[in-house]
Amino acid sequence: MKRFSFAHAMMVMPVQALLGLVIFLPAIYVFWLSLNESSFGQAPRWVGFANYVEVLSDPYFWQAFLNTVIVINIVVYVELALGLGVALLFVGGVPARRLMIAIVLAPYAISEVSAVVMWRFMMDPTIGMVSQTLAALGLPTIEWAVVPEHGLALICILSIWLHLPFTFILLYSARLAVPTELYEAARIDGATPWQEFRRVTLPLMIPAILVSVLFRYIFAFRIFSEVWLLTQGGPARTTEVLAVYLYQEAFRYNAFGKSAATGWLMVVASVLLALWYLRQIYKRMFAADA
Amino acid sequence: MRRPLAIRALRGLALALIVVWSAFPIMLVVASSFKPPRDIFVYPPTWLFSPTVDNYVGLWRRWPDFFSNLVNSLIITVGATAVAVLSSTLAGWVYSRHRSRLLTFSAFFMIFIRLIPPIVVTLPLFPAVNWLRLNDTHLVLILLYATFFVSLGTMIMKTFIDQIPRELDEAATVDGASDWQIVLRVILPVAAQGMIAAGVFVFVYAWNEFLFAFIFTTTRAKTAPLVVSEMTGAVDGVEWGVLFAATTLQLLPIVIFVMLAQKYLIAGLTAGATKG
Repeated sequence: MKRFSFAHAMMVMPVQALLGLVIFLPAIYVFWLSLNESSFGQAPRWVGFANYVEVLSDPYFWQAFLNTVIVINIVVYVELALGLGVALLFVGGVPARRLMIAIVLAPYAISEVSAVVMWRFMMDPTIGMVSQTLAALGLPTIEWAVVPEHGLALICILSIWLHLPFTFILLYSARLAVPTELYEAARIDGATPWQEFRRVTLPLMIPAILVSVLFRYIFAFRIFSEVWLLTQGGPARTTEVLAVYLYQEAFRYNAFGKSAATGWLMVVASVLLALWYLRQIYKRMFAADA
Repeated sequence: MRRPLAIRALRGLALALIVVWSAFPIMLVVASSFKPPRDIFVYPPTWLFSPTVDNYVGLWRRWPDFFSNLVNSLIITVGATAVAVLSSTLAGWVYSRHRSRLLTFSAFFMIFIRLIPPIVVTLPLFPAVNWLRLNDTHLVLILLYATFFVSLGTMIMKTFIDQIPRELDEAATVDGASDWQIVLRVILPVAAQGMIAAGVFVFVYAWNEFLFAFIFTTTRAKTAPLVVSEMTGAVDGVEWGVLFAATTLQLLPIVIFVMLAQKYLIAGLTAGATKG
């Protein structure tokens, strides 16, 4: 095998340069920014960890934090349950399989903006069909623009709708990869469908389930557009999530230090979430690198 | 094996529910964009109406710029896809064929970087982009979108190139080909499948992205999603018909694209998620 050469460095460079200049260096700069107090047209002033103290004692931060934790946990686990259910349903055989998969995948192609248009229309308190159906059934309507809990619920629904295809595809492919002989063997041993699921399907799908849950945690944690487009974090900052909080602090209140501190707290949280995964990857990569 | 009737009925019901859940909101918007105003708000929604293009004409009159915003979206999407796919292919080949401490370290760095949320980097990039006079240009969005997908792209390309026999590289080396010639003449033509798989993700992401477009564009480089979001926030109330026309133009091409690229999407997702 040939040694690493100048040509190889040049070939890896575009990718590494983009990552370094657009993400890595700015992220480092954000750390420096988080240790300073600064705003538009004002020289940064060193304040140490004061911004972090300020952020961590801001009730709006904790509201955003709590909202984020609630939303991502609902979103990730509902997606997992639904994705697993639909994957198993599809494995059991469906008519027009390719078309059906295409239909289930369709929301993957939809932008957050378009999804908000759809769901706002269906959920509109006066003209929306969901509200009218609820009213016809004598149920209270969903006041997502007024009641924070309703707003967050709609954000969850929207997010699940957009990302179910991702979870579904990962789990469906993983289920298809389970060798059929195992099911034949289980059947010969007289396993019930539940035992089959519990003893064959689930154990073999665990890696895929962990990966899909982890990826969804990391990406759901960044949730911004759905919230911004639906409620802008309102009413009165009650439905903010961390990314919206960061945006507001930076671009509305011009508190760059606080905003940067929030950013770094988000980076650290993401890394902690993914620590187990990073360790696995690290071990595998450096083991192969002999 | 025949299943009992009750089980078949339940499966059928579950299948119907998932189809309605996935497709109904999309169909509703597309259908409503062709409805005359009085039919848009009919409850329960009607699927029988005399189709009209009035909403599209309204869109043309009220938001004449929307069509150039669609063109902006297309330029940025194609640009970002080209940058991401080409750079990922070059890097993917190196990671597939060669090993060294430095390379392993850089591959790990690539995965690690994916953990940084995009909103975090907007903070320093906003003044930097202004200083470089790149704000409100296609280029800034092309670079941003490409960057956020080169990690996944490289993983996908590495997985695909791993399946191309090394003998092809070796034969070319014997014929005196340089590394560049191997990648460009030998690998590129046979890696098309992987390149499409890597490209699909950037393409969908760049066409739909909101956050960066919202922060880095103001007039000239505005993309379609941004303008649709402005329509939903119009002060004089939402004109649903016009909004549905714009939304349909934004989503229909990409929905069809994803449906056609199904195979590549699935291949890419599995390669990218399980391997990287």
